[in-house]
Amino acid sequence: MSLEITVTTENSNSKRVSIAGSLDSNTAQELQHSVDAEIGDTIATVIFDLKELDFLSSAGLRVIFKTRKMMDNNGGRFLLVNLQPQIKKVFEIIKALDGMNVFKNQEEMDNYLAAMQNKVIDGE
Amino acid sequence: MNKPETSKTCIALKHKAADCRKLHDFLSKNIQTKNMPTEIQHDLRLVIEEIFSNIVNHADIASQDNEIKVELKHGTRSISITFTDTGKAFNPLCDHENCMHENDHSEGGMGVHLIKSLTDHQEYKRIRQQNVFTVTKHYNQ
Repeated sequence: MSLEITVTTENSNSKRVSIAGSLDSNTAQELQHSVDAEIGDTIATVIFDLKELDFLSSAGLRVIFKTRKMMDNNGGRFLLVNLQPQIKKVFEIIKALDGMNVFKNQEEMDNYLAAMQNKVIDGE
Repeated sequence: MNKPETSKTCIALKHKAADCRKLHDFLSKNIQTKNMPTEIQHDLRLVIEEIFSNIVNHADIASQDNEIKVELKHGTRSISITFTDTGKAFNPLCDHENCMHENDHSEGGMGVHLIKSLTDHQEYKRIRQQNVFTVTKHYNQ
């Protein structure tokens, strides 16, 4: 099974990476290349949308966590949204969901982002 | 007493990541008629991917031209998968470099953790210059 990656700019400093298909040992490098090409220092928020992701192996997980680490080091935000049950199970097995910004759907994530924005506006 | 029904199938693969696709096809073809729950099928797909990647990544140059043999053995409500390769002695279950870093998953080590978590039994043997690694998964139909 192949991998399909779509990167969209949500606003000037936010990118959504939609990942469809199989993120495995054969395809993980494709995602790494997209991240390297699309996610620069000026990006404040990266959203990995896994709605169409059917399969995830440790090779794919490494790319996801490297991206998260890069965003943490840059003082940015890394969000995961729309995890299918079989994908969520993989994250749970490796005990990786604690401390991560994971949202079950778009609405939940939008509410979080709106709350974050309000905090900035309120000067908190 | 009736003997439990078992069946066995085998495939030979090359030491290259692309052959993982053939392995997935082989698994799918051999489990779709077994009335196996979808979640178990997904678990097995992930397990074989991790084991195969491990073998390919740890192969020395001398063994890269040799085959990796994979055998599926079905029991009544269980499946055993055995990987045999001629690479240098390598027991993934005792590979300290492969330990998962719980605070930094970007460092890897997750593959072995997934294999152990998603199967009920794992066994490594070194037999006649070959690594023989078997995992077994039990399931309810």
